[in-house]
Amino acid sequence: MFLQTQQITKEFGKLRAVNNVSLEIVKGDIHAIIGPNGAGKSTYFNLVTGYHRATSGKVIFKGKEITHLPAYSRCNLGITRSFQITSIYPKLTVYESVLQGLLCHRKVTLNFFSSAKKFFKEEVCRILEDVGLADQANTLGDSISHGDKKRLELAITLGTEPELLCLDEPTCGMSPEETDVAMSLIKKFSEERGLTILFTEHDMSVVFGIAKRISVLHQGTLIADGTPQEVRASEEVQKVYLGGSA
Amino acid sequence: MLTNQTEKKDSIVKRGWWLGLLFILFLIAPSILSEFYLSILCEALVMSLLALSFNLLFGYMGQLSFGQAAFYGLSGYTVAMLVTKVHFNFWLSLVAGVLMAGVIGLVVGYFCVRLRGIYFAVLTLAFGQLLFVIIYKWHNFTGGDDGIQGVFPPDFLKSPTAYYYFILLVFTASAYVLWRIIQSPFGQTLKSMRENSERTEFLGINIARYQLIAFVIAAGFAGLAGAIWVPFYRSVAPFYLMWIKSGEPVMAAILGGPPIFLGPVLGMFIMTFFHAWVLGFTIYWPVVMGALILVIIFFLPGGILGFAHEKLKERKEKLNLTKGQP
Amino acid sequence: MMSFDVLFNQFLSGIARAAMLFLVASGLSLTFGVLRILNFAHGSLYMLGAFLSYSIWKFILIPVVGFYVATIITAIILALIGILIEFFLLRRLYVRGWPEQLLATYAIILIITDIVKYGWGGEFLSIPRPKPFTGAVFLFGFPFPSYNFFVILLGLGLVIFLWWLVYRTRLGDIIRAAAHDREMVSALGIPIPWLFTWIFVLGSLIAGLSGAVTAPFGSVALGMDIEIIVECFAVVVIGGMGSLPGTLLGSLIVGEVYAFGIMFKPELALAFIFIVMAVVLIIRPWGIFGRPER
Repeated sequence: MFLQTQQITKEFGKLRAVNNVSLEIVKGDIHAIIGPNGAGKSTYFNLVTGYHRATSGKVIFKGKEITHLPAYSRCNLGITRSFQITSIYPKLTVYESVLQGLLCHRKVTLNFFSSAKKFFKEEVCRILEDVGLADQANTLGDSISHGDKKRLELAITLGTEPELLCLDEPTCGMSPEETDVAMSLIKKFSEERGLTILFTEHDMSVVFGIAKRISVLHQGTLIADGTPQEVRASEEVQKVYLGGSA
Repeated sequence: MLTNQTEKKDSIVKRGWWLGLLFILFLIAPSILSEFYLSILCEALVMSLLALSFNLLFGYMGQLSFGQAAFYGLSGYTVAMLVTKVHFNFWLSLVAGVLMAGVIGLVVGYFCVRLRGIYFAVLTLAFGQLLFVIIYKWHNFTGGDDGIQGVFPPDFLKSPTAYYYFILLVFTASAYVLWRIIQSPFGQTLKSMRENSERTEFLGINIARYQLIAFVIAAGFAGLAGAIWVPFYRSVAPFYLMWIKSGEPVMAAILGGPPIFLGPVLGMFIMTFFHAWVLGFTIYWPVVMGALILVIIFFLPGGILGFAHEKLKERKEKLNLTKGQP
Repeated sequence: MMSFDVLFNQFLSGIARAAMLFLVASGLSLTFGVLRILNFAHGSLYMLGAFLSYSIWKFILIPVVGFYVATIITAIILALIGILIEFFLLRRLYVRGWPEQLLATYAIILIITDIVKYGWGGEFLSIPRPKPFTGAVFLFGFPFPSYNFFVILLGLGLVIFLWWLVYRTRLGDIIRAAAHDREMVSALGIPIPWLFTWIFVLGSLIAGLSGAVTAPFGSVALGMDIEIIVECFAVVVIGGMGSLPGTLLGSLIVGEVYAFGIMFKPELALAFIFIVMAVVLIIRPWGIFGRPER
C-alpha cells in the first residue's frame, strides 16, 4: 500500500470541493485523476501534496499518516509535485534550477561555506540529458519556451529523487509534438527510475495513452476507479462526460 | 555542456584584478586622505557592511527589512554599556554586541518570518521601532536621549589611521564570509526562495526556518557594523536604531544594485559622501533620501551596477548576433 | 485599589483610543483591500492632517465652529494630496512588484516628515477641545472627557458609513469584487485606474480627517506618523488583513491593551501591544478575521 486517502474531504466555507474520496495508488503505477472542470482534481492533488489542509479524512503514505504534515515534510518523505501553472525559477539558470532540487534532497542546504556549483555535477547533467535540456543549461528560466519550462519543472522535481511524483496537468498548453515528448518522458521515468506517478489531465489521449489506472472525480466525489478499459466502459463516466473524448 | 570553464576563469581574473586594485587603494588611503575624509571613509565602510547585511535579505532572499538599524544600534549600545559601565574587555564587548544582535534577531525574526512580503517588511519596521522606543525611554539604563559617551577603543587603536585599518580588516573579512555564504548551498537556496518560494517549499524546504536563519545572520553582521562603529565615534545615541537609519542600507542597496554582490557597497559609498556633503548645508536629509529613492525606483530600477550589467549584456548579445552573421 | 470605576474609566479610554485607531486604520485597510498596496505613508498623511488642521484653525480664527471647519478643509486638502500621490507616483507602480511600491511609500514618509519639520519645526502642538466637547461627562463619579465621546461617535459614524459604502452601494460591490479579482473587474469594463484613485483619495481623506480629529488630544508632533503606522499595523495583524470587521476588532483590542497597559506601566504600553501581536502571529498569523493564504 503506497499512497492512500481515506474519506478525504476539503471544504472552502460552504463549498465542498472534495467529498469523502477514498483512493489507493499502487506503487509503480501511472495513475491518472480525471474529471470535468470543477471536479476537484486539483484540490485532491493539493490535499495529497500538502498545499491544502484536509477538513477531514486521512492521507497515508507508505504506512505513515501524513494528513497534518506540512508540504515540505511530505516532500522529504518522497512526494514531489509539479504545478499546473508552471512553477520554475525565472532568474536562475536551467542548471541552477535542477541543482536546487538535488541540494534540497541530499540535505546540504545548511552548508554555508562550500561552493554550491561544485555539488552533484554528474547528477544534474544526467537529469538535463534525460529531459533534453542539456543544451540550454546556462539559459535563464524565463528565457526558455513554454514547453521547455514544463520540462524544466519536471527536471527540478526529479532532482528530489521522489518516490511519488504528482504532476498537475503536465501537458497543459503544449503542442501535440511537445505532448508526445512529455508523454514518453513520463513513461520513461516511471520505468527507468521506478517512479510512481499520479497526474491530472484534460487531454484524454494522454490519459489513455499512458495511465495504468484511472480515477474519475465529479463534483468532488469519486465516481469511477479502475483500469482504462473499466473506466471507458463505465456508464457513470460516460454520463458525466456527455460523450466527451473518453 | 557546463559553463565554459575558460570563460569563467576569465571573468574571475577580470574581477579579481579590479578588486585587487581597489584593495590597494584602500590600503594607501590614510596616506593620501585628510583625517576628515578618512573618517567619512570609515563610516562608508561600516555602513557598507550594514548594507551588505541588508542585501543578504533583500537582493538574495527577496525580502525587505526595514529594521536592520535596530540590530546595528543594539549592538552599539551593548558595546558602549559594557565598555563604559562595566569596563569589560574591549574585544569581548564586540563579541557580546554581535551576539546580542543575533539573539534579538532570532526573537524578532521568529515572528517576522511568519509573514511574507509587505507584512514582513512592516513588521520589521514595527519591531525596529519598538526597540528604538525601549532604548529611548529607558533613561536609567541607557541614558535615553543623551546616549552614551566615552566609548574608547584600546590604546593602539585610538588613532584614526589605526582604527581605519581595523575597520578595513573587519569589513573585508565580513564581505568574504558573506560572499562564501551566498555562493554556498544555503545561499543558493535563498536565491531559489527569492525566485519562487513556493517551488522551493515543495522541494522540501521549510521556508520560514531558512528565512529565520538568514535573518539572524543579517542581524549578526548588522550588529558587527554597529559594534565596530561606536568605539570609532566614541558614542552611541538612540537615533542609531531609528527607522530613518534603517532606510539607509535600503537606499544604498537599490542605488548600487541589489543583484550584484558589491552593489550595496557602491551605493553606500556614494550615499555616505553625498550625505556628508548635504549635511554641510542643510539638516533636511530625509527629504533628499526620499527623493533619491523615488528617482532610483523610476529611472534606475536595477541600481547603478544593475543598469551597467544590463548594458554590458546587451552589448555582448549584439556582438554575438553580428558574429553569427554569414 | 483597582475599583470598578477606575477600570471602567480605563475601559472607556480604551474605546476612545480604539475609535481613533479605527479612524486611521480603516483608511489603510480600505486601500490595502482593493489596491493591494499597503500605504506605508498613511501615517504621514495623518500627521500632515494634524499639523495642517492646527494651522488652519489658527488662521481662520472662527470661534466655536473653527475646529470643525478646519477639520473639513484639512480632509479636503489631504484628499487632493492623495490624488496627486496616486496619479503621479503610485499609478506607475501597480505593474511593478510590492518591493517598489513599499519603497515608494517609504520615500513618501521621508519626504513628508521633512515637510512637516520644515513647516512646523519640532514642537508639540495641540488645539483646545472644540465646543461643545470642552468639558467632561461624569460616569460613576469619574470625569470622562466629552471629546472622547465625540471621537467614539465619529468612529461609529465611520463604521456605519463604510459598511453602507462597501455592502450597500454599487461602488462597494465593485470594491469587493476588485479586492477578489482585479482582472475580472477590469474585463467587465470598469475603469480600474479611476477606481483605484477614488479608493486612495477616500483613504487619504480619512487619514486627514483622523489627523485633524486627533489634534485636540494634544499629541501633534513629529514621529506620530511612525507611531500610528506601527499601531495600525498591529491592528491589521491582530484583526486580519484587508478585513473591515477585523480592523474594528483589532482597533478595540489594541485600544484596550494600550489603555490598561498605561495603567500598569506607561512606558511599556507599546510592548504589551507587541506581545498581543506576537501571540496572534504564532497562533493565527493571518489575523482573527483574516483568511489564510492557502
